[in-house]
Amino acid sequence: MTDLNIPQSNSSPAIRASWADGVVTMKGDSYPENSFELFQPLIDWVDSYLKTAGRALHSELELLYLNTSSIRALMDVLDMLEGAHVGGGRVSARWSYDSANERVGDLAEEFKEDCTFPFEIVATGDRR
Amino acid sequence: MSEGPDLDLRVEAILADPAAKDNPMRPVLEELYARHSTLQRLVDRLTRISDQFQRAERDRGLSYAENYQRKVRQIERIVRISDRYQSMLRDTNERLQLISTHDELTTLPNRRFMQERINQEISQVERNGGSFVLALADIDHFKDINDTYGHAMGDRVLAGVARNLKQSLREYDVCGRWGGEEFLFLFPGCGAEEMSALADRIQHCLKSADPRDADSPRVTMSVGVTEFRRGETMDETLKRADEALYRAKSAGRDRAVVA
Repeated sequence: MTDLNIPQSNSSPAIRASWADGVVTMKGDSYPENSFELFQPLIDWVDSYLKTAGRALHSELELLYLNTSSIRALMDVLDMLEGAHVGGGRVSARWSYDSANERVGDLAEEFKEDCTFPFEIVATGDRR
Repeated sequence: MSEGPDLDLRVEAILADPAAKDNPMRPVLEELYARHSTLQRLVDRLTRISDQFQRAERDRGLSYAENYQRKVRQIERIVRISDRYQSMLRDTNERLQLISTHDELTTLPNRRFMQERINQEISQVERNGGSFVLALADIDHFKDINDTYGHAMGDRVLAGVARNLKQSLREYDVCGRWGGEEFLFLFPGCGAEEMSALADRIQHCLKSADPRDADSPRVTMSVGVTEFRRGETMDETLKRADEALYRAKSAGRDRAVVA
């Protein structure tokens, strides 16, 4: 499986997935015209990695604004990680947010709610 | 059928008994018992298969219900998270709106807001008649305050003056920070005859002490006041107010000039 490297745009986050490192990174805002088109490659990649790589998968999230369909896509990805975790796979996630924007941290908590795998939420930067 | 096994045992006992060997009923009983046993096995198998089908159907129903519940739960979460993102955006929007129209230090409307507001007032007066007055007020010797006490004190004085000016306003009056230490007033519905009184009010409000400014240096203001004349542009009215302010400064400051 090849790595994913989708560059960040005004309306979509940077999405990177490294097969060798077992790391998925998503960073930025997400309100794309067609979220299916944007996220399907990632969903396919994660699915394939979890089924065939036989190694741990870590996901680094640094997302700010998500529109409704992006929320759904991210939830699907997290559900896949949860499924892998319940099946004995090693998965983890870390969501970093700017401490000046506390509400993003609250939203990360909402996403974490149904996840039983290690899911860290970290405030970064100095509070001004 | 509680007598079932018992009956089976009794029949089997008779069939196995050597004493019954020559009984003419024995072959008939044997045949009947064999048929009974076959039917019994058939009924047992049918029951078992039927039970399995029923269980499979029940499991399928349960998994549909479970799936449905999970989807409902997911949709509820998506809606909740989406609502929160939306309210986050709305708040950001409100904050940007405020920042783009207000001055951070004094919390007064900024120059852009005042320009828009004055243009609205001009259209209003041109359309419906009436009048309005503009006053440009500038803190006297403000540079000395900055030079003597530092910029932090300068900022405090500006914030204190803004607070006092705000208190002097009536409901429809607007006061904005026009420039560094310059404030612009818009008095809708006022005319030439009220200009002196308005200027007095601006100057007077600085003289009533606010306990929060106790350790700040006292300041005075020079004021230029003018009435909008129909047909002219905002810049023309402002230029007249500015010239009046300049005359107030030249005449020794801490005074108002009406133009």
